[in-house]
Amino acid sequence: MLELFTYDFMQRSLLAAALVGALCSTIGVFVVLRGLAFVGAGTAHAAFAGVALGFLMGWPPLLMALLFGLGTVWITGWVEEKGRMKLDVSIGILYTATMALAILFIGLMKTYNAEVYGYLFGSVLAVTSEELRTIAGLSIVVIGSIVLFSKELYFIAFDQEMAEASGVPARRIFFLLLTLVALTVVVSLKTVGAILVFAMILIPASTAYQLTHSLSTLTWYSILIGVSCSVGGVLLSSIWDIPSGPAIVLLATLVFFVAVLLSPKRQRQSLAMN
Amino acid sequence: MAGHSPPIIHFDHATFGFPGVVALEDISLEIQSGEFVGVIGPNGSGKTTLCRAVLGLMAPLKGHLRIFDCACDELRCHHRAKIGYLPQKGVVDRNFPVTVLETVMMGRYGALGLFTRPSGKDRKIALDALAHVGMEGHRDNALGRLSGGQQQRVFIARALAQQPQVLLLDEPTTGLDITTQHNVVELVQHLHKELGLTVLLITHDINMIRSRVDRLVLLKTRLYAAGPPADVLKPEILSQVYGKDLVITERDTITVEDYHHHH
Repeated sequence: MLELFTYDFMQRSLLAAALVGALCSTIGVFVVLRGLAFVGAGTAHAAFAGVALGFLMGWPPLLMALLFGLGTVWITGWVEEKGRMKLDVSIGILYTATMALAILFIGLMKTYNAEVYGYLFGSVLAVTSEELRTIAGLSIVVIGSIVLFSKELYFIAFDQEMAEASGVPARRIFFLLLTLVALTVVVSLKTVGAILVFAMILIPASTAYQLTHSLSTLTWYSILIGVSCSVGGVLLSSIWDIPSGPAIVLLATLVFFVAVLLSPKRQRQSLAMN
Repeated sequence: MAGHSPPIIHFDHATFGFPGVVALEDISLEIQSGEFVGVIGPNGSGKTTLCRAVLGLMAPLKGHLRIFDCACDELRCHHRAKIGYLPQKGVVDRNFPVTVLETVMMGRYGALGLFTRPSGKDRKIALDALAHVGMEGHRDNALGRLSGGQQQRVFIARALAQQPQVLLLDEPTTGLDITTQHNVVELVQHLHKELGLTVLLITHDINMIRSRVDRLVLLKTRLYAAGPPADVLKPEILSQVYGKDLVITERDTITVEDYHHHH
């Protein structure tokens, strides 16, 4: 098994998986706590529509993914802020509309393009050095922003109106969070794919949620779980020759259920019921 | 009460609401620094709108509202940080994974501004705020595991951690048992005296606050009365606002009798 680590492609894959795992699990803390889970899913599908358009028109797919992702989160945030409709309704509409666009763009392609499907299901073992550099660069931007604005992000996740009332520029921070979600999705497209990136944002933070009552501990647990499951999933996929995206996500799901079973919160609730 | 100093909050014929819906109309009211003011009125009378306006979250449709001598919709972050706010129970998720100290530390974030990380000094301010509300022994406990009264104390400590000039409390006793209600209002009264805070307390419970406040403000979309409790709590004024006959009994508590039943 150790010889796996000597291959260049394996080293790139593990590094990409670790970066994406860290990134998704960090932003996931704020997504879960602020109740933006569905936004993550909607953004991922919107970004895939961008990728499909990119391939159709010969434009850079990741740039198009970024534009579609940002467009979706900003429209969603604007609609919520104006109180026009509930967030899950507006994202639901955009989610399905962008997915319809993706199917349309793929349908308009004259030939079958396997690379497009790579972005849908992820192929971390095929990550190139150039893609790894892009992932690393965007990861630094996203994680750096989270570190810089962590106290404000925690506060708006807890209570946005309270944050605004006490002098935090809450609306701008909310849009920053939405932007970071879109960037995270785009960074993760190549590794885990548009369908599974949502799981990587949601599962590590939800798992950590089972284990602690402290915000800072929750964040560290989430990162630890995200990185371990990503790296573990890539190794499992190589050893058992199974697709990497599902391996990562199913491992994370397994860890989630174990955490639910062992959760101190759950045990306290059963004690209280007895 | 500083009678001639400029008011800390000044409503000048201010109307609030949304296009087509007036929540508060033509309010003129001055609140001086160091006052303890109770805001009462029936459901839908605009109490929470008043609260949002003072927080700078709503600008008047007509008229003016000045807070710290600044137009309310132009409040800068450092102005907002000077108003410690306790939202209505149920507005925040009480099971949010956060410890008591982490919750109180959030009170420092607005005052610190962007790009500044909380220091040991901020932690000390948060711990002092917890001591003020008698919750210093719970700092590492989960917020969600505290009782309703203890949670209210933690949220008051969060407001105090802002080192505010004004404490704004939106129905702080709702959902608490009677003893806890008294304890929370007593705590607010104590903080008002000890820290010299201007307190604006919005409540349904007239009996609970009437003996503690300097002034009562009675709202029902319009400002019906403002003044010392004895001047505001007159049966003719109360029945106008509540649509019921409110009777002040011998024990000096207010009871409501159904208007139709009475007649």
